[in-house]
Amino acid sequence: MLALQILIDGFAISSLYALGAMGFTLIFGVSGVLNLAHGGIMVVAALIGWLAAGDLGLGVFAGTAVGVLAGLVTAYVTYLLVVRPIQRSRAIPREESEIFILTGTLLWGIMIQVGMAYLFTDNPVTILPLIDGIVNIDGVRTPKNEIMIAVICWIVIGLLWFLVNRTPAGKRLLAASINPRGLTLLGTELSNIYLFVWGIYGALAGLAGVLLASFLGVGTQNVGQLTASAFSIVVVGGLGSVTGSLLAAYVVGYLETLTAYLIEPTLRPIPALLLLVIVVYIRPQGFFGRR
Amino acid sequence: MRKFFRSRLFLVSLLLVVIAAFLPFELSAYVLGILTAGYYFGVFAMSWDLLFGFAGEVNFGPTFLIGLGAYTAAILDNQLNPPVLLCVAAGAVVAVLGGLLLAVPALRLSGPYFGLTTLVAVLLLQNAIVIFAHFTGGEIGMTVPDVLSIDAATNYWYALAFLVVSAIILYGLSRSAIGLILQASGQDAIEAQALGFNVTKHKLAAFCISAFFSGIAGALLIFYLGATSVDQVIDISIGVQIIISAVLGGRRTILGAVLGALFLICATEVLRPLGQLNTFVVSGVALAVILFFPDGLLGHVLHGRERE
Amino acid sequence: MSAATLADSDVRLEVEGLTKRFGGLVAVKDLGFQVRAGEILGLIGPNGSGKSTVMKLIMGIVRRDRGSVTLDGNEVSAWPPHRIARAGVGIVFQQSRPLHRQTVLENIKLALLPDSLLRLVADRHVDERARAIAERVGLKDVMQRRPSTLPFADLRRMEMAKAIARDPKVVLIDEPFAGLTISEVATFSDLIRGFREEGRAVLLVDHNVKSVAALVDRVLAMYLGEKVAEGTADEVMRNETVRRVYLGGKIEASAQRDAGARERTPLLDVEEVSVFYGKAQALDKVKVTVGEGEFVSIVGLNGAGKTTLFNALSGLVPYAGRIAFAGADLGGRSAASIARGGLVHCPETRELFGDMTVRENLDLGGQHLAAPERARQLAWLFELFPILKERSGQAARTLSGGEQQMLAIARALMMEPKLLILDEPTLGLAPVILEQLSKALERLRATTPITILLGEQNVTFALPHADRVYVLEHARIVWEGSPTRFAEEMGTGYL
Repeated sequence: MLALQILIDGFAISSLYALGAMGFTLIFGVSGVLNLAHGGIMVVAALIGWLAAGDLGLGVFAGTAVGVLAGLVTAYVTYLLVVRPIQRSRAIPREESEIFILTGTLLWGIMIQVGMAYLFTDNPVTILPLIDGIVNIDGVRTPKNEIMIAVICWIVIGLLWFLVNRTPAGKRLLAASINPRGLTLLGTELSNIYLFVWGIYGALAGLAGVLLASFLGVGTQNVGQLTASAFSIVVVGGLGSVTGSLLAAYVVGYLETLTAYLIEPTLRPIPALLLLVIVVYIRPQGFFGRR
Repeated sequence: MRKFFRSRLFLVSLLLVVIAAFLPFELSAYVLGILTAGYYFGVFAMSWDLLFGFAGEVNFGPTFLIGLGAYTAAILDNQLNPPVLLCVAAGAVVAVLGGLLLAVPALRLSGPYFGLTTLVAVLLLQNAIVIFAHFTGGEIGMTVPDVLSIDAATNYWYALAFLVVSAIILYGLSRSAIGLILQASGQDAIEAQALGFNVTKHKLAAFCISAFFSGIAGALLIFYLGATSVDQVIDISIGVQIIISAVLGGRRTILGAVLGALFLICATEVLRPLGQLNTFVVSGVALAVILFFPDGLLGHVLHGRERE
Repeated sequence: MSAATLADSDVRLEVEGLTKRFGGLVAVKDLGFQVRAGEILGLIGPNGSGKSTVMKLIMGIVRRDRGSVTLDGNEVSAWPPHRIARAGVGIVFQQSRPLHRQTVLENIKLALLPDSLLRLVADRHVDERARAIAERVGLKDVMQRRPSTLPFADLRRMEMAKAIARDPKVVLIDEPFAGLTISEVATFSDLIRGFREEGRAVLLVDHNVKSVAALVDRVLAMYLGEKVAEGTADEVMRNETVRRVYLGGKIEASAQRDAGARERTPLLDVEEVSVFYGKAQALDKVKVTVGEGEFVSIVGLNGAGKTTLFNALSGLVPYAGRIAFAGADLGGRSAASIARGGLVHCPETRELFGDMTVRENLDLGGQHLAAPERARQLAWLFELFPILKERSGQAARTLSGGEQQMLAIARALMMEPKLLILDEPTLGLAPVILEQLSKALERLRATTPITILLGEQNVTFALPHADRVYVLEHARIVWEGSPTRFAEEMGTGYL
């Protein structure tokens, strides 16, 4: 029964990780940016969603929607106020712009963390479950909410796959990640592509944040750790590879769950870190990395 | 060489050091304490600038090296209680070993991948400390039985002296022949090799030097504070503050890093009444500097004169 | 100095059976040559011939797959670059690589420093020697200035200074005259001759024989990684294989084209356009006009500036001057908007989406069209290039070179361009593919009102289709006229 419990719990947390990581890697693949304010976007979405659902009395579903919207807005602010000015700045030499973006987004993430802590205190918040009740799977008592979350994650992942592989807009995104100059010569303004991808990213990160709050609870202290774990997953899976991130999310999610159940809950983040170290030393481009 | 001793930079620096030496006669112990911490921070920032500004390696986890130095010294002092200097030396040795450990992937990776490695190193160290809590005091931290001195003024002078010596060595290195080779290695490794330089060897040296000074500074800081914890020497936010100090002060100036560090420490103090928000404001200012004055304070001044 | 008077013991650099592959692409195949002391060898080849790779192989920057590089009798193929440099090889790269924050003198001093971690202060004589070298290459007056303040020629001088600082036995120079004015070329030639007088072995790498003919003792011509000819400059220029490979064969004009001297409304008007890459001038007051429905060929060797011109037209690089398309000024418009306006650029590098299928690539080309129109265009293009229909589900990067070129052209045509710019479509393609391309272009012209601007090194391909021909050489238009006149006047003297 422990095995089944691990299987179910691992699946749920991995799906959530996958959602966040896929957005993170999409941004890297298309616009070349490693966004270290990732955790910040997730936490803003979680806190605003919680506020909307509870204090503003909008209920859980509307609250979730508001949270996702908050994630979207925060992602746009990150792009327009921090990332794009650095990319366009003439005072920063091109070889150093990556470093500046990393530092800038890191700073912005810290600002979000502290700002949110000021407004909401740093206590973790939990959003009420989307569905109440417990279901009994073969002897394992699982909250229905947990299953719901996994289902939502997979629906969104499916939609994302459909978008990128079957719609014209999505194919443009894919083309931009393969050859931006080629796409420009076909008459597509890259600036529009970037706005589009940051929007998708904001929605994905926002949703991941809100669902996480519903599942485990989220607080401003989690900002750094959320960014770190998305980073780890994306590196292991291969920077820029959405498939890689999906797989890596499950590897990491299950490693963590196994550690928590079989060894010690406090050692939860260790195996992922060790995996990251191994990957960085042996195969720095990750499972499916291209760049 | 003689040209330097007559340059404005040297004279202004000399003046500042002299003023600084006399401050304990005017200021309270509290303010001296802040400056003392700031001076150690200045060494952290200078070490970072040497590695980044010259060898071209972005280290997102300078606290890995600092933490190694600090915790080695602290653990040694708690377990075996040898003289303070020996603990500090041990801290330096372990930090240098850590630097070599970081250097290995650095030489094979580039850009964001190396930055990742440095972040990972910090996370690993942080988790290791929490796991081995009975040695390290875990998240709460631990105290050390010895301190450098109980007198605020003495501590202040120790820190100032250390800062000045480190600055002389690091700045001197940056302007020496080795500094020139390091810059070439960092800016254009292929051209440096085509000119006959073993880039690997020089980058390793840069890591070791950066690690050496970070480790010693970390250990000395512990013996000043009398205690150590993850929040003080290892947390990523400390690393970020070090990077901000160096960038604010001006990348590739070495001395600018000290200015940046002092500015940061003092600003955080001054804004203390704002509570948590002081981090917000300081980060905001740093972000603004990155966006509008990427050359930093000293960098702007020096480059301004170059442009004429 | 003729080769016969130099003994074998004077061989400073020897390359034998040198082979290098990058994935599936063979960059250098079984190459062998010698360079003696006091000799200048010219290594000539168009883009993609492998000549730059050879330089990097000799310097150790790229590891060989097979073969050997011998320096003064020592096998150095496995040595790291810095060791090869210290053994007596100096290299001048195609792009200048100065340290921007240091003065000219400091840059040269760097070249003189020992590879030591312990020497903090340089020897006094380093300063003297650095000054001497600076004077020798003509940098005496700018020693204290920073590279960003120097003119282009001085930057190149500094690169030469760095390369000879430690008195190397072998000097490798990549494209010695690119970006220099005629008088600067003369000064630099004298400098390089000076190296020869000093008994160094000099290897020059360049695009075409003409520019280095006066300077070199011998020439080795390369194509697609292999040696195709070796001898004196004259011998190589007259060599049949070389001419075929560089020019594409006999130069013939198609008689019917000359009738096209009639009045046409100008579609493209390029007025006094100049382009600078940093300090290097890539285009010098170029003037070109293309009328509606015309087929204009711009002929020139690699490095002449064709690609730069096309990049300026399609908005990819900034320029000085004016470009008017369909009556409107293109200045200030984004590259994407210029493409949408009907000026479609099919670049030399093709810029395909390798991981996407042929069909997906074509669909992206037609993204601005309504669905029925797109379907019609697609059907028409599949007729024009049947092989694409066969391969429509395959990933673009799995196609052969010729197929990729057809895909690139088809994708550009999906945009229903008013003006199609084709940059070196024949690069690296086999003759049989050229036939197919040629036929496709014929059909295109016969069935649609499209205007085409073709940039080519392969004159045999470019001439039969053209209504008018321009010749671009060293960033300037040096000739303009009908194809027949071109065949008569430029025929033999072109290479």
